[in-house]
Amino acid sequence: MFSIGELFDWLTDPENWTGRYGLANLFVEHLTLTLVSLAIAGLLAIPIGIAIGQSGRGETLVIAISSASRAIPTMGLMFALVMLMGVEFRQFAVVLALVGIAIPPILAGAYSGIKSIPIVIREGARAQGMTTLQQIRHVGLPLSAPSMVGGFKIAYLQVVSTVVLAPLVGLGGLGFGVIQGLALRDFAQLTGSALVIVLLSITGERLLARAQRTSHRRLTHSKIGR
Amino acid sequence: MTKPIKKSIKSAIALSAVAVLGLAGCAESNSEPLVIGSQAYYSNEIVAEVYAQVLENAGYSVDRQFALGQRDVYVPALLAGEIDLFPEYTGNLLQHFDPAATATAEEDVYQALQAALPAGLTALALSGASDQDSYNVTSDFAMKNNLTSIADLAGVSGIRLGGAPELAERPYGPMGLMSFYGVTVEFEATGDTTVESLEAGLIDMANVYSADPRIQQLGLVTLTDPQGLFLSSNLVPIASDAVNQEARDLINAVSSAMTAADLVALNVRSVEEQLSSAVIARDWLLSKGLID
Repeated sequence: MFSIGELFDWLTDPENWTGRYGLANLFVEHLTLTLVSLAIAGLLAIPIGIAIGQSGRGETLVIAISSASRAIPTMGLMFALVMLMGVEFRQFAVVLALVGIAIPPILAGAYSGIKSIPIVIREGARAQGMTTLQQIRHVGLPLSAPSMVGGFKIAYLQVVSTVVLAPLVGLGGLGFGVIQGLALRDFAQLTGSALVIVLLSITGERLLARAQRTSHRRLTHSKIGR
Repeated sequence: MTKPIKKSIKSAIALSAVAVLGLAGCAESNSEPLVIGSQAYYSNEIVAEVYAQVLENAGYSVDRQFALGQRDVYVPALLAGEIDLFPEYTGNLLQHFDPAATATAEEDVYQALQAALPAGLTALALSGASDQDSYNVTSDFAMKNNLTSIADLAGVSGIRLGGAPELAERPYGPMGLMSFYGVTVEFEATGDTTVESLEAGLIDMANVYSADPRIQQLGLVTLTDPQGLFLSSNLVPIASDAVNQEARDLINAVSSAMTAADLVALNVRSVEEQLSSAVIARDWLLSKGLID
């Protein structure tokens, strides 16, 4: 009933790439929703994670947030927020839900990055007369960068796959082709859209993994803090 | 301390073994229970519950397998004989078995469905109640543009039509509006927030199921469809060969008693009063004198 040839035909048909619900537009919407949510989550979670890791206060909060986040039904949260805020503000509601699922891994990455810096190094930085801000800037951030990027990597994968649900509440994104294809039993559209989502996930994950390796290599091959 | 506990566990096991044997004996001596299925759609479940209660009242044993998801999931189970009775909708089911079907009028669709159903499944008597796609506008929009029928939209420009993503490609979607009525619309995939989007003014026209209580609650205007753009979708029970004639007659009596207004009223009770389908079904059957 469905062959790889049909999938190829569907993906290479320019008609499926253009227009309001064409792949190009849906791809941009998908990526925008993902990146905006990750940026907001990062702005919130990184400073908090650093502060908690540096001060050692509020550690139970990190554990509570990251374990509670596993129990949140994402789709339910998205629907509830859209209904609560009204459909006019569905973009904000969906971004809020996505920020909610992106915060825990980023927070955990920032916190554990700082926390895992050996006490000798942290005390050494303090003994040199560095202020707290200097300690964070010259010691904390570079040393915890791999862990922070790792947090973003997990958050990216979760968010990029959750955006697939956005068409259920009237937003775009690549999930459109999955939901429409399923309802119309158009398996070429369904698998074609799913394939683009998979490629987007893998590409992003690979890029972040490379950034993580680079930041790690920089640590082991150069002088930090100078 | 441990001995009495062990003993009680042992006797519990023995008791349950007896119970299982007893039940198995029952099943053998009586006929198999009739398996009644329903979609994962509250309105469909209420109708399935109506069937179940009317059969139970007549002494049949029934096995309720409700909320079985959508057609792709339960039609194979129906074909395999795992479900005996299922409330369905003529047009949508016809489209499932014959995507190229062209009939849209009530009686034509029913006949086409009977022809399209695989062997072993029968469409029982058609009910007057329908639950089908329909185009709805707010009363303000209808008044402002003087709308009662889809045909009246021909003079209105820039209409934004909202519905599930698949509406974009359905025969009654934007393309059908153009070919049947010469109406141009801009499609917005509003998904599960279609009615809310209509209320908020993000779209001008919404595809809503005709038995949706919100049409009544929000005072929406359902545009008439003189050209037969929409496939009629009346409630129809689908029965397997395991359902005997007496049971079929009972179900047919339910179908002929259920009007379009009845179906909406059942849905309203579910949405507004949050009653269980068992209570709603029982009250309705009592009011029609179908059970005692």
